[in-house]
Amino acid sequence: MSLLKDFSRGLVAENPVLRLMIGLCPTLAVSNTVINALGMSAATGFVLVCSNLVVALIRKIVPDEIRIPIFIIVISTFVTISDYVMQAYFQDLHHALGVFVPLIVVNCIILGRAEAFAYRNTVLSSTLDGVGMSLGFTLALGGIAVIRESLGAGAILGIKVLPQALAATIMILPPGAFITIGFLMAALNKLENKVL
Amino acid sequence: MDKKEIVRLGLILAAFCVISAGALAFVYIFTQPQIELYARTSFENSLKEALPGAESYKETEKNVFEGSKGEELVGWVFLQSPQGYGGKIGMLVGVDTEGKVTGVKILSQKETPGLGVNILKESFLSQFKDKTADDPIEPKKDIEAITGATISSRAVSNGVRQSIRSANELIKRF
Repeated sequence: MSLLKDFSRGLVAENPVLRLMIGLCPTLAVSNTVINALGMSAATGFVLVCSNLVVALIRKIVPDEIRIPIFIIVISTFVTISDYVMQAYFQDLHHALGVFVPLIVVNCIILGRAEAFAYRNTVLSSTLDGVGMSLGFTLALGGIAVIRESLGAGAILGIKVLPQALAATIMILPPGAFITIGFLMAALNKLENKVL
Repeated sequence: MDKKEIVRLGLILAAFCVISAGALAFVYIFTQPQIELYARTSFENSLKEALPGAESYKETEKNVFEGSKGEELVGWVFLQSPQGYGGKIGMLVGVDTEGKVTGVKILSQKETPGLGVNILKESFLSQFKDKTADDPIEPKKDIEAITGATISSRAVSNGVRQSIRSANELIKRF
Protein backbone atom coordinates (compact mmCIF):
# COMPACT_ATOMS: atom_id res chain seq x y z
CA MET A 1 0.00 0.00 0.00
CA SER A 2 2.73 2.42 0.91
CA LEU A 3 4.61 1.43 -2.25
CA LEU A 4 1.61 2.48 -4.29
CA LYS A 5 1.63 5.77 -2.46
CA ASP A 6 5.33 6.23 -3.23
CA PHE A 7 4.45 5.90 -6.86
CA SER A 8 1.26 7.95 -7.03
CA ARG A 9 2.46 10.83 -4.86
CA GLY A 10 4.17 12.61 -7.73
CA LEU A 11 1.29 12.35 -10.18
CA VAL A 12 -1.16 14.88 -8.78
CA ALA A 13 -1.01 15.35 -5.00
CA GLU A 14 2.65 16.37 -5.02
CA ASN A 15 3.04 17.08 -8.72
CA PRO A 16 6.49 18.65 -8.92
CA VAL A 17 5.55 21.40 -11.34
CA LEU A 18 1.96 22.29 -10.52
CA ARG A 19 1.94 21.63 -6.76
CA LEU A 20 5.49 21.83 -5.44
CA MET A 21 6.34 24.43 -8.09
CA ILE A 22 9.87 23.18 -8.64
CA GLY A 23 11.59 22.58 -11.96
CA LEU A 24 9.77 25.54 -13.45
CA CYS A 25 12.69 26.76 -15.54
CA PRO A 26 12.75 23.89 -18.08
CA THR A 27 8.96 23.70 -17.87
CA LEU A 28 8.55 27.27 -19.05
CA ALA A 29 11.28 27.01 -21.65
CA VAL A 30 10.62 23.77 -23.51
CA SER A 31 6.84 23.47 -23.30
CA ASN A 32 6.36 25.39 -26.57
CA THR A 33 5.89 22.20 -28.59
CA VAL A 34 4.64 18.76 -27.57
CA ILE A 35 7.64 16.97 -29.05
CA ASN A 36 10.08 19.14 -27.08
CA ALA A 37 8.08 18.56 -23.90
CA LEU A 38 8.08 14.79 -24.36
CA GLY A 39 11.81 14.74 -25.15
CA MET A 40 12.60 16.83 -22.11
CA SER A 41 10.36 14.67 -19.92
CA ALA A 42 12.06 11.51 -21.14
CA ALA A 43 15.54 12.88 -20.44
CA THR A 44 14.57 14.26 -17.04
CA GLY A 45 12.70 11.08 -16.16
CA PHE A 46 15.70 8.92 -17.04
CA VAL A 47 17.97 11.02 -14.85
CA LEU A 48 15.47 11.20 -11.99
CA VAL A 49 14.79 7.46 -11.82
CA CYS A 50 18.47 6.54 -12.16
CA SER A 51 19.64 9.08 -9.59
CA ASN A 52 16.94 8.05 -7.10
CA LEU A 53 17.92 4.42 -7.55
CA VAL A 54 21.64 5.03 -7.14
CA VAL A 55 21.26 7.45 -4.24
CA ALA A 56 19.08 4.93 -2.37
CA LEU A 57 21.60 2.22 -3.15
CA ILE A 58 24.61 4.12 -1.78
CA ARG A 59 22.87 6.00 1.02
CA LYS A 60 24.46 3.86 3.76
CA ILE A 61 28.04 4.51 2.60
CA VAL A 62 27.65 8.23 1.90
CA PRO A 63 28.88 10.40 4.79
CA ASP A 64 26.31 12.99 5.79
CA GLU A 65 28.71 15.93 5.41
CA ILE A 66 29.40 15.38 1.72
CA ARG A 67 26.08 13.95 0.58
CA ILE A 68 25.14 16.95 -1.59
CA PRO A 69 28.35 16.92 -3.69
CA ILE A 70 27.94 13.18 -4.14
CA PHE A 71 24.32 13.61 -5.26
CA ILE A 72 25.49 16.19 -7.78
CA ILE A 73 28.16 13.80 -9.12
CA VAL A 74 25.55 11.04 -9.51
CA ILE A 75 23.06 13.39 -11.20
CA SER A 76 25.55 15.02 -13.55
CA THR A 77 26.86 11.61 -14.60
CA PHE A 78 23.39 10.54 -15.71
CA VAL A 79 22.73 13.91 -17.35
CA THR A 80 25.91 13.61 -19.39
CA ILE A 81 25.00 10.05 -20.37
CA SER A 82 21.57 11.16 -21.59
CA ASP A 83 23.18 14.11 -23.38
CA TYR A 84 25.56 11.79 -25.27
CA VAL A 85 22.81 9.32 -26.14
CA MET A 86 20.51 12.07 -27.40
CA GLN A 87 23.32 13.60 -29.46
CA ALA A 88 24.06 10.24 -31.02
CA TYR A 89 20.57 8.93 -31.71
CA PHE A 90 18.05 11.81 -31.46
CA GLN A 91 19.92 14.70 -33.07
CA ASP A 92 16.91 16.82 -34.00
CA LEU A 93 15.53 16.65 -30.50
CA HIS A 94 18.94 17.42 -29.04
CA HIS A 95 19.13 20.45 -31.31
CA ALA A 96 15.69 21.68 -30.23
CA LEU A 97 16.27 21.23 -26.50
CA GLY A 98 19.72 22.80 -26.72
CA VAL A 99 21.17 24.01 -23.44
CA PHE A 100 18.27 22.63 -21.39
CA VAL A 101 19.65 19.09 -21.52
CA PRO A 102 22.89 19.90 -19.63
CA LEU A 103 20.82 22.13 -17.34
CA ILE A 104 18.92 19.07 -16.06
CA VAL A 105 21.82 18.89 -13.59
CA VAL A 106 20.41 21.84 -11.69
CA ASN A 107 16.77 20.79 -11.99
CA CYS A 108 15.56 21.06 -8.40
CA ILE A 109 13.16 18.13 -8.79
CA ILE A 110 16.05 15.70 -9.10
CA LEU A 111 18.24 17.01 -6.28
CA GLY A 112 15.10 17.56 -4.22
CA ARG A 113 13.97 13.94 -4.55
CA ALA A 114 17.50 12.67 -3.85
CA GLU A 115 17.76 14.68 -0.64
CA ALA A 116 14.17 14.48 0.58
CA PHE A 117 13.30 10.94 -0.43
CA ALA A 118 15.94 8.63 -1.88
CA TYR A 119 18.50 9.36 0.86
CA ARG A 120 16.05 8.13 3.48
CA ASN A 121 14.19 5.28 1.74
CA THR A 122 14.73 1.85 0.23
CA VAL A 123 15.79 1.27 -3.36
CA LEU A 124 12.34 0.05 -4.39
CA SER A 125 10.45 2.96 -2.81
CA SER A 126 12.91 5.46 -4.27
CA THR A 127 12.67 4.02 -7.76
CA LEU A 128 8.89 4.11 -7.61
CA ASP A 129 9.02 7.66 -6.30
CA GLY A 130 11.29 8.58 -9.23
CA VAL A 131 8.93 6.99 -11.76
CA GLY A 132 5.90 8.71 -10.21
CA MET A 133 7.59 12.10 -10.09
CA SER A 134 8.77 11.67 -13.69
CA LEU A 135 5.26 10.88 -14.82
CA GLY A 136 3.95 13.88 -12.89
CA PHE A 137 6.54 16.06 -14.61
CA THR A 138 5.59 14.56 -17.98
CA LEU A 139 1.87 15.15 -17.34
CA ALA A 140 2.43 18.78 -16.37
CA LEU A 141 4.91 19.52 -19.16
CA GLY A 142 2.86 17.65 -21.76
CA GLY A 143 -0.37 19.34 -20.67
CA ILE A 144 1.16 22.78 -20.88
CA ALA A 145 2.69 21.97 -24.26
CA VAL A 146 -0.59 20.66 -25.70
CA ILE A 147 -2.35 23.88 -24.70
CA ARG A 148 0.46 26.15 -25.88
CA GLU A 149 1.13 24.46 -29.19
CA SER A 150 -2.53 24.10 -30.17
CA LEU A 151 -3.39 27.70 -29.30
CA GLY A 152 -0.09 29.19 -30.46
CA ALA A 153 0.76 27.26 -33.61
CA GLY A 154 -2.66 25.80 -34.41
CA ALA A 155 -1.24 22.29 -34.71
CA ILE A 156 -0.05 19.46 -32.48
CA LEU A 157 2.74 17.23 -33.79
CA GLY A 158 1.96 18.54 -37.25
CA ILE A 159 -1.79 17.81 -37.04
CA LYS A 160 -3.91 20.89 -37.54
CA VAL A 161 -6.35 21.61 -34.69
CA LEU A 162 -7.09 25.28 -35.20
CA PRO A 163 -7.35 27.46 -38.30
CA GLN A 164 -4.08 29.35 -38.78
CA ALA A 165 -5.88 32.68 -38.44
CA LEU A 166 -6.95 31.88 -34.86
CA ALA A 167 -3.48 30.87 -33.66
CA ALA A 168 -2.04 33.38 -31.21
CA THR A 169 1.75 33.46 -31.48
CA ILE A 170 2.02 34.76 -27.91
CA MET A 171 1.16 31.27 -26.65
CA ILE A 172 4.39 29.76 -27.94
CA LEU A 173 6.42 32.74 -26.74
CA PRO A 174 7.52 33.00 -23.06
CA PRO A 175 4.39 34.88 -21.85
CA GLY A 176 2.23 32.01 -23.09
CA ALA A 177 4.08 29.67 -20.73
CA PHE A 178 3.35 31.83 -17.70
CA ILE A 179 -0.30 32.28 -18.66
CA THR A 180 -0.85 28.55 -19.23
CA ILE A 181 0.92 27.43 -16.07
CA GLY A 182 -1.04 29.98 -14.02
CA PHE A 183 -4.39 28.74 -15.29
CA LEU A 184 -3.39 25.10 -14.76
CA MET A 185 -2.31 25.75 -11.15
CA ALA A 186 -5.55 27.61 -10.46
CA ALA A 187 -7.59 24.79 -11.96
CA LEU A 188 -5.76 22.17 -9.90
CA ASN A 189 -6.24 24.17 -6.69
CA LYS A 190 -9.94 24.60 -7.41
CA LEU A 191 -10.27 20.88 -8.09
CA GLU A 192 -8.54 20.00 -4.84
CA ASN A 193 -10.76 22.30 -2.80
CA LYS A 194 -13.79 20.58 -4.25
CA VAL A 195 -12.55 17.03 -3.66
CA LEU A 196 -11.37 17.56 -0.10
CA MET B 1 36.75 18.52 11.97
CA ASP B 2 40.20 17.03 12.32
CA LYS B 3 42.64 16.51 9.47
CA LYS B 4 42.10 12.76 9.23
CA GLU B 5 38.38 13.24 8.79
CA ILE B 6 38.90 15.77 5.97
CA VAL B 7 41.21 13.36 4.15
CA ARG B 8 38.70 10.53 4.59
CA LEU B 9 35.84 12.57 3.14
CA GLY B 10 38.07 13.78 0.31
CA LEU B 11 38.99 10.22 -0.58
CA ILE B 12 35.36 9.09 -0.60
CA LEU B 13 34.44 11.98 -2.87
CA ALA B 14 37.38 11.15 -5.14
CA ALA B 15 36.24 7.52 -5.33
CA PHE B 16 32.80 8.61 -6.50
CA CYS B 17 34.39 10.89 -9.11
CA VAL B 18 36.51 8.02 -10.45
CA ILE B 19 33.49 5.72 -10.77
CA SER B 20 31.54 8.47 -12.50
CA ALA B 21 34.38 9.24 -14.90
CA GLY B 22 34.71 5.56 -15.73
CA ALA B 23 31.01 5.26 -16.52
CA LEU B 24 31.13 8.37 -18.70
CA ALA B 25 34.19 7.17 -20.59
CA PHE B 26 32.35 3.94 -21.34
CA VAL B 27 29.29 5.75 -22.73
CA TYR B 28 31.50 8.21 -24.62
CA ILE B 29 33.34 5.44 -26.47
CA PHE B 30 30.03 3.96 -27.58
CA THR B 31 28.30 7.16 -28.68
CA GLN B 32 31.19 9.22 -30.08
CA PRO B 33 31.49 7.50 -33.50
CA GLN B 34 27.76 7.96 -34.03
CA ILE B 35 27.88 11.64 -33.01
CA GLU B 36 30.81 12.33 -35.35
CA LEU B 37 29.23 10.44 -38.20
CA TYR B 38 26.06 12.45 -37.83
CA ALA B 39 27.89 15.78 -37.69
CA ARG B 40 29.77 14.92 -40.88
CA THR B 41 26.91 13.54 -42.93
CA SER B 42 24.47 16.24 -41.90
CA PHE B 43 26.89 18.94 -43.05
CA GLU B 44 27.54 17.11 -46.31
CA ASN B 45 23.80 16.79 -46.91
CA SER B 46 23.38 20.49 -46.28
CA LEU B 47 26.09 21.30 -48.82
CA LYS B 48 24.28 19.08 -51.30
CA GLU B 49 21.01 20.95 -50.68
CA ALA B 50 22.69 24.31 -51.27
CA LEU B 51 24.48 23.24 -54.45
CA PRO B 52 22.65 20.18 -55.79
CA GLY B 53 24.58 19.95 -59.05
CA ALA B 54 27.90 19.02 -57.46
CA GLU B 55 29.12 15.64 -56.29
CA SER B 56 32.14 16.51 -54.21
CA TYR B 57 32.92 19.49 -52.02
CA LYS B 58 36.25 20.86 -50.90
CA GLU B 59 36.91 23.72 -48.51
CA THR B 60 39.22 25.98 -50.53
CA GLU B 61 39.09 29.04 -48.31
CA LYS B 62 37.64 29.62 -44.88
CA ASN B 63 33.85 29.20 -45.14
CA VAL B 64 34.00 28.64 -48.91
CA PHE B 65 33.36 25.17 -50.32
CA GLU B 66 34.11 24.43 -53.94
CA GLY B 67 31.64 22.03 -55.48
CA SER B 68 32.52 19.98 -58.52
CA LYS B 69 31.15 17.15 -60.60
CA GLY B 70 33.96 14.95 -61.79
CA GLU B 71 36.65 17.36 -62.97
CA GLU B 72 34.24 20.15 -63.73
CA LEU B 73 33.69 23.05 -61.36
CA VAL B 74 29.99 23.53 -60.66
CA GLY B 75 29.99 26.37 -58.15
CA TRP B 76 30.63 27.32 -54.55
CA VAL B 77 28.85 27.04 -51.25
CA PHE B 78 29.38 29.91 -48.84
CA LEU B 79 28.96 29.58 -45.10
CA GLN B 80 27.44 32.86 -43.94
CA SER B 81 26.47 34.07 -40.49
CA PRO B 82 24.44 37.28 -40.83
CA GLN B 83 23.11 38.95 -37.70
CA GLY B 84 19.45 38.02 -37.20
CA TYR B 85 16.98 39.12 -34.56
CA GLY B 86 17.98 36.63 -31.87
CA GLY B 87 21.60 36.12 -32.82
CA LYS B 88 23.71 35.02 -35.73
CA ILE B 89 22.01 32.91 -38.39
CA GLY B 90 24.26 30.15 -39.71
CA MET B 91 23.42 29.50 -43.35
CA LEU B 92 24.79 27.92 -46.51
CA VAL B 93 24.30 29.59 -49.88
CA GLY B 94 25.12 27.80 -53.11
CA VAL B 95 26.08 29.85 -56.20
CA ASP B 96 26.92 28.34 -59.58
CA THR B 97 29.69 29.44 -61.93
CA GLU B 98 27.32 31.85 -63.68
CA GLY B 99 26.67 33.69 -60.44
CA LYS B 100 23.19 32.26 -59.98
CA VAL B 101 21.94 31.13 -56.57
CA THR B 102 21.27 27.39 -56.52
CA GLY B 103 19.95 26.98 -53.00
CA VAL B 104 19.86 28.31 -49.45
CA LYS B 105 20.02 26.16 -46.35
CA ILE B 106 19.73 27.43 -42.76
CA LEU B 107 21.98 25.49 -40.39
CA SER B 108 21.36 27.27 -37.09
CA GLN B 109 19.21 30.13 -35.91
CA LYS B 110 17.86 31.64 -32.70
CA GLU B 111 14.96 33.61 -34.16
CA THR B 112 11.61 34.14 -32.41
CA PRO B 113 9.41 31.01 -32.32
CA GLY B 114 6.33 31.44 -34.50
CA LEU B 115 7.72 34.48 -36.32
CA GLY B 116 11.40 34.59 -37.30
CA VAL B 117 11.63 30.80 -37.24
CA ASN B 118 9.58 30.82 -40.44
CA ILE B 119 12.77 31.68 -42.36
CA LEU B 120 13.24 27.89 -42.32
CA LYS B 121 10.18 27.46 -44.52
CA GLU B 122 10.73 26.29 -48.05
CA SER B 123 8.29 28.91 -49.39
CA PHE B 124 10.57 31.65 -48.08
CA LEU B 125 13.93 30.12 -48.99
CA SER B 126 12.92 29.09 -52.50
CA GLN B 127 12.49 32.77 -53.40
CA PHE B 128 16.26 33.16 -53.52
CA LYS B 129 16.78 30.50 -56.14
CA ASP B 130 18.15 31.77 -59.48
CA LYS B 131 18.83 35.25 -58.12
CA THR B 132 21.92 36.98 -59.52
CA ALA B 133 23.92 40.14 -58.87
CA ASP B 134 21.39 42.01 -61.05
CA ASP B 135 18.57 41.43 -58.53
CA PRO B 136 18.17 43.71 -55.53
CA ILE B 137 17.50 40.72 -53.17
CA GLU B 138 15.82 42.83 -50.55
CA PRO B 139 12.63 42.27 -48.56
CA LYS B 140 9.73 44.35 -49.91
CA LYS B 141 11.44 44.61 -53.31
CA ASP B 142 11.85 41.20 -54.89
CA ILE B 143 11.70 39.09 -51.71
CA GLU B 144 8.46 38.58 -49.84
CA ALA B 145 9.42 39.09 -46.19
CA ILE B 146 7.96 36.93 -43.44
CA THR B 147 5.15 38.71 -41.62
CA GLY B 148 6.41 40.07 -38.31
CA ALA B 149 9.99 39.09 -39.02
CA THR B 150 11.47 41.80 -41.20
CA ILE B 151 14.84 41.67 -39.46
CA SER B 152 15.17 37.91 -39.86
CA SER B 153 14.12 38.14 -43.52
CA ARG B 154 16.62 40.91 -44.14
CA ALA B 155 19.42 38.95 -42.45
CA VAL B 156 18.90 35.97 -44.77
CA SER B 157 18.76 38.31 -47.78
CA ASN B 158 22.04 39.91 -46.69
CA GLY B 159 23.68 36.51 -46.47
CA VAL B 160 22.54 35.63 -49.98
CA ARG B 161 23.65 38.96 -51.44
CA GLN B 162 27.06 38.65 -49.77
CA SER B 163 27.47 35.16 -51.24
CA ILE B 164 26.69 36.33 -54.77
CA ARG B 165 29.25 39.10 -54.39
CA SER B 166 31.90 36.63 -53.21
CA ALA B 167 31.03 34.25 -56.04
CA ASN B 168 31.41 36.97 -58.65
CA GLU B 169 34.86 37.78 -57.31
CA LEU B 170 35.81 34.10 -57.65
CA ILE B 171 34.38 34.00 -61.18
CA LYS B 172 36.45 37.03 -62.18
CA ARG B 173 39.63 35.20 -61.21
CA PHE B 174 39.18 32.63 -63.95
